[in-house]
Amino acid sequence: MTSEVVAEIEDQVRQMRETGQVTPELEDELDRCFEEVAEASLAERALVTARGPESGSGDPIAGLAGRMGLSQLRRQAAAMARRRLGPSFRRLERRAAVGATRLGEALSIRVHVTADHLERLAARSPRASRVLSAARPGESASVAGTMHPSIEGPLLAWVVERLSAAVPNGAQEAAGLVLHAECGDGRVVEALAARGFQARGADPGAAARADGDSRIVAAGALEYLGATVSGTLDGLLLTGVVDRLRPGDGRVLAQLAARCLAPGGVVVLVSARPEAVVALDPVAADLAHRRPLHPVTWCHLLARYGLSVLAVFEPETSEPDLFAISAQRLAPALVAGRGDA
Amino acid sequence: MRTRPVRIDQVIPSIVERDAVSHHTLEAQRVLHSMGFVSEIYACSMGPGLAGRVHPLSQLPREEPERQWVCYQASIGSPAADAVISHPGLKLVDYHNISPSELIERWMPQLADEVRVGRRQLAELAPVVELAFADSEFNRAELEAAGYRNTMVAPLMVDTANFYSPPDPQVGRRLEAVRALGGHDWLFVGQMLPHKAHHDVIKALACARNLFDPKARLHLVGRESCASYADALRRFVSALELTAAVEFVGSISPGELSAYYTSVDVLVCCSDHEGFCVPLLEAMHHRLPVVAYGVAAVPETLLDAGIVLPSKSPVLVAAAVERVLTDHDLHDSLVSAGLRRTRSFTVEGARRAFARAIEQALQAA
Repeated sequence: MTSEVVAEIEDQVRQMRETGQVTPELEDELDRCFEEVAEASLAERALVTARGPESGSGDPIAGLAGRMGLSQLRRQAAAMARRRLGPSFRRLERRAAVGATRLGEALSIRVHVTADHLERLAARSPRASRVLSAARPGESASVAGTMHPSIEGPLLAWVVERLSAAVPNGAQEAAGLVLHAECGDGRVVEALAARGFQARGADPGAAARADGDSRIVAAGALEYLGATVSGTLDGLLLTGVVDRLRPGDGRVLAQLAARCLAPGGVVVLVSARPEAVVALDPVAADLAHRRPLHPVTWCHLLARYGLSVLAVFEPETSEPDLFAISAQRLAPALVAGRGDA
Repeated sequence: MRTRPVRIDQVIPSIVERDAVSHHTLEAQRVLHSMGFVSEIYACSMGPGLAGRVHPLSQLPREEPERQWVCYQASIGSPAADAVISHPGLKLVDYHNISPSELIERWMPQLADEVRVGRRQLAELAPVVELAFADSEFNRAELEAAGYRNTMVAPLMVDTANFYSPPDPQVGRRLEAVRALGGHDWLFVGQMLPHKAHHDVIKALACARNLFDPKARLHLVGRESCASYADALRRFVSALELTAAVEFVGSISPGELSAYYTSVDVLVCCSDHEGFCVPLLEAMHHRLPVVAYGVAAVPETLLDAGIVLPSKSPVLVAAAVERVLTDHDLHDSLVSAGLRRTRSFTVEGARRAFARAIEQALQAA
């Protein structure tokens, strides 16, 4: 019966076209109009992502395109290989990693200090800038993944305490905006919201989960912070991504964090200790991909981009394989004061 | 009949609350328990409310093939598929469709990569899978095209929370106030993703206002999962001067959604790809007539309970909506057929079909 109705509707439309009631231009114009706005939106989004906007429209925590990491495929393959190789290999692997990491600690800081020197050199000399640009690998992109350190117990209490020290929790004034970048299942976002913060989350796996939690958007940390309006975050919690940075992305992340925080805002960073990567499961699942940096390196990077390190959390018993750092973007007046001193 | 396994575990890329495939997986677990199997769910990622009910994929046991089977819930590219391929147990696939990458590529290139991986993994699974079931005939045909030998249809075990939630009174009052201004209200429900083609519904609305119903309005319900596409839609609405006529509702609770279903006049769907399309069932349950573009599994889900169009020319869609809203006999017959169609999708029936699929796998030579 409905097929007959559809045929009648098609006849009606045919007649409307023949009698000129519907002109071909009507639909053509709609198609053309959408193509124009589509091109404009795609071009603007590409520009915003590439630049890391100084200004933007609407909610700075607006959703980005849903993404899932292809890196998950590599991680899983590594996990399966490790399971088959057995415990003796894991012990050997850990011993080798501890030795390599101790060497790497010293080297890592030296590399970043050298990179700072090169950047200052590039700023002074256009020729050096050109040479360095040519030698630099491609632009960093977000590294997606779904492995997240477990933030609970004393560590969660410490994170909340550090954020509460700088971010209003809504008890007496408007709640501050806190973003948990790469928030995994959103548990910490919920915990922060329960404590009165205006908590939001971003995670590359959010699109696939489709759980309807509008507080969580689908995006990696670098991608998301790159598209966030400057100075709009009161608090920023970084987990997950800090363990999987590609060479050079540590600097990018520190720079983005500093740019996105409002004056007085606090960033809290939780990471695996580099020497502990093989002791942690599922962190151990992908040693080849994860590259956690040493706490001292992070302190250096955060300070490099104008963030003042407030405290370092290195638990001895409860979560021995994790550490956390809090750093604050000082208000201009305080920065000036410190400079004067 | 082969040896009956002790456990049939399910593997799913991601599981969250209020998601059709996730709900289906949880229901499937209940069915497997009722059949006497030990059955756990293993996922790469899980929603906060499912901790404890679902285990990380890394904990998937690898028992003897006679003792453990694995059922993979396939809907996107994921390392979970590789874990299933390498698992020693007998393998089943429950396929919920994977969107074609070409519909996403322009707007979400990384997601397009993921769905490409998903299609590749689906083909890689084909030679090692004993039995594959799909939640629609359309999906089953895709399984066959991907090289699966033994396939069958086992309907989606639909979450009826959106069917029976009482309408949110506040939203209902607001919509009634809008309706008092005259004109008909259109609804589309679905994540704001490019292949859902919200822009084609907006084009149809523009034509309808131009040709038939100058006060017609459109309500777009669903999470904004692609920022650039959502931005383009807003610009499009603004360019067409439809800002007052198109509401971007976003993600809402079951009660709020129920209020929309009960307050509007028609559900219009111009999606380019649907593996099943649960909102069609929800609309029919709420006595809402449906006008839809007949692509992918949409004709199979609707059958004769909705107007299924051969193209989505905006004028054709607008004319179809106008016909449904002004031809009262047609309207009533669609509502009746919709209710009948909805009743054929009972959770009990879907549970029985899933159990039959498992029994068939047990009996396979």
